[in-house]
Amino acid sequence: MTMRVPTLPHGAWRRALSGALALSGILALAIVVACGGESVPHSATGKAGNGGTLRIPLINDPILDPVIAPDIGSVMVNKVLFPGLVRPDEQLRPTPDLAESWSTSADGLRITFKLRPGVKWHDGAPFSAHDVKFTFDQIIDLASGSRLRSDFAAISGVDVDDSLTVTFRLRTPFAPFLTLLGYNAGILPKHLLQGAPLTAATDFNRKHPVGTGPFMVQTVVPGTSLTLVRNPYYYGTPPRLDRIVFKVVPDLNAQVAQLRAGELDLITIEPANLASVQGAPGIEVLQVPVVQHYYVALNTTRGRFHPAEVRRALGMAINREAIIKGVLRDYADLPRGTIPVALRDYFADSIAPTPYAPDSALAMLARAGWRRGADGALRDAHGSTFDIELLVDKGNPTREQSALAVQQDLAKIGIHVSIRTMEFAALVRDRILPGNFDATLIWWTTPPDPDQYAFYHSGQDNNNVKWSNPRADSLLSLGRITLDSTQRRAIYHAFQRVEMEDPPVLVLFYPREIQAVTARLEGFPSLGIRDALRHSERFALRAK
Amino acid sequence: MAAFLLRRLGHAMLVLLVVCTVTFAIVHAAPGGPSLLADPKLSVAERAAIAERLGVDRPIPEQYARWLTRLARGDLGNSFLYETNTASTIAQRLPNTLLLAGTALLITIVVAIPLAAWCAERPGGWLDRIAGALAMGAISIPVFWLGIVCILVFAVRLGILPAGGAVGAEGGASLADRARHLVLPSLVLAAAGTAELLRYTRASARQQYARPFVRAARAKGVGERAVRWRHAMRNALIPAVTVIGLQLPRLVGGAAITETVFSWPGMGRLGIEAALARDYPLVMGITLVVSAGVLLASLLVDVAYLALDPRIRPDQS
Repeated sequence: MTMRVPTLPHGAWRRALSGALALSGILALAIVVACGGESVPHSATGKAGNGGTLRIPLINDPILDPVIAPDIGSVMVNKVLFPGLVRPDEQLRPTPDLAESWSTSADGLRITFKLRPGVKWHDGAPFSAHDVKFTFDQIIDLASGSRLRSDFAAISGVDVDDSLTVTFRLRTPFAPFLTLLGYNAGILPKHLLQGAPLTAATDFNRKHPVGTGPFMVQTVVPGTSLTLVRNPYYYGTPPRLDRIVFKVVPDLNAQVAQLRAGELDLITIEPANLASVQGAPGIEVLQVPVVQHYYVALNTTRGRFHPAEVRRALGMAINREAIIKGVLRDYADLPRGTIPVALRDYFADSIAPTPYAPDSALAMLARAGWRRGADGALRDAHGSTFDIELLVDKGNPTREQSALAVQQDLAKIGIHVSIRTMEFAALVRDRILPGNFDATLIWWTTPPDPDQYAFYHSGQDNNNVKWSNPRADSLLSLGRITLDSTQRRAIYHAFQRVEMEDPPVLVLFYPREIQAVTARLEGFPSLGIRDALRHSERFALRAK
Repeated sequence: MAAFLLRRLGHAMLVLLVVCTVTFAIVHAAPGGPSLLADPKLSVAERAAIAERLGVDRPIPEQYARWLTRLARGDLGNSFLYETNTASTIAQRLPNTLLLAGTALLITIVVAIPLAAWCAERPGGWLDRIAGALAMGAISIPVFWLGIVCILVFAVRLGILPAGGAVGAEGGASLADRARHLVLPSLVLAAAGTAELLRYTRASARQQYARPFVRAARAKGVGERAVRWRHAMRNALIPAVTVIGLQLPRLVGGAAITETVFSWPGMGRLGIEAALARDYPLVMGITLVVSAGVLLASLLVDVAYLALDPRIRPDQS
């Protein structure tokens, strides 16, 4: 049998052919334009090394300015590019970075930093105390677009004593200050950014950032990747890697696939992804407790959630161990209060965790006026049922499954929970901020300091549940102005005891970050990826 | 013809204005608002300062009037999410989308039409059955699943093709490198479109083969090849052109799911990011570009009708 190949007679087919040719022309043009990309070669590059290239995913293009960057991806890149005055060690305690040493005045209101001499920016310009003052003037300026202002609200001014000495004046003593300096407050170059709003420095923020970190930006391909090379001027131990490439890979399943295909080296995953990386050749799974607490927020302005014993009872009706085992696959820790176990110096492990005790919960609820009716539903004296609408953000399996577990546990004591999933932004803007919610399953990621004044002191903007406890208020106020670490520890242990009696929120677990990494990775500190990136000069890849 | 094109262009401008107005209203009515303001850690004062800087504290009609005024000056404004000029952000992504969607469309046309002609002539034959089954599968399988499976097979297991991206991570965007990155996403993107076009064209061709003029042509002794292509297929292509026309907007709009699964830096992914972040200037910019693309595509389809069927005249359409 002969193949009958379609031929192209005259007329319509000639036009079709010319159409196809035109389409091919467009494609060829697209290839050429796309190939051109937005590659921005940098003039200086690091000297050659044999450390290889580490590839880490981002979910979108980062903003390369630590003061205005609003998202996690940007924060990660900026931790490499822009060191701060201090950085956290593996115990999350601040250690010298751009500052060599510091001293605090007796009243705690003046902190003076001696800066490391001889530090240069990626463009070769010298780093000085003027850069530090410039950065913090921007951070505390409401109009600058700063995302760090609330961290540093205690600063009343910054003085340049000499080119390598800078003094911060504070309104009150502020214990978390050093920790916050090592958290997101990377130092910006005054000589490149002064005179215009930070948000308008598009060329700096997107293509040509200049920091003092161990790696500097070589190439930016929008929507695709960001290539960092060694900084030849780096002041610390010379970096071991040749390059760090941040690749834009928005989908978590695609990140896992790329890790397995050897196209990524270091990703963080959800417990639901564990099955696809465990036992995969050349991949190691690491876990690190991170400074987060996941909880069910109960709106205490709604009458039924106002009594502390109702909140305590609900807490006792939730089987946290089952959630940690079933949903988190044991990659989480059992909570006591809102200060997570990652804050080793402050977490009070002498406190017993809230037990899972549905019967005691029912007895407690009965004392608060809620009794089970013949149909098993919990009712108050007027016969109203105990119904809760639980809000959870859409798309994250860990939180959605945890919400289901809470729903089932509370059903067992006669409380009807209806789950409503919403986009995160809508959840925050339309429900949490206006106080228009019963309950929501949410989390806080906090700096590595126990200060939770902003979240749980009465009347604060971030105290969304409107929790108010006078004893907690005074402990939280005292904790942030107490500089002695032993006294501070006692204050926060006392705060956690208050939380066990009068829970501000129902803490479900302290998650551990699950890092899936190539087995060739070395020198990666046992820290959450964001804090670990403050030590990128130590990373290395073993030869294949 | 010139008058026809001019009139269509006038319509197009009007449609664009309506689309922009409706989009502006919808995106502002969507719950949540700009994600920049949704960070729960912001204080009330910080949130107010950001809203003022973005201009979203103004009444919505005023915001729209400002947007239109800027548009008249050719300025699409700055993206909230990227703090960059909207037009240049779109311009960076458009070539990637043209490349991916264009390749997929080319695959669709080159595979579906000859295959449809073949199948229509031999209904129930082995190729027709295989093609029919594959087409059913391609239409039914969700793109994200097909994409992940292709990545697992070709990138993870066999290691012969890259798992994602438009170029290798370490630069070196040679033509061969780009082509390798294009294979999986363009095939996955083409799968459903090819299946759809195949089924439409095959059905339409079958109808044509059964019509009297085909029999008349054969009776007159016209060669089988000419019967197939000049008589049957030419008429069968009118619905096919409609189906192709419906896929054209993807050339500019991108394919959100495929681009996300394959980390392809195109317009579809940008559109999703913009919509989720309620990045109003970027959403509006993308809407404008994509609607212009759709209008252009429908114009092209109408012109193609004229070429294919002399009975259709411009003044009737």
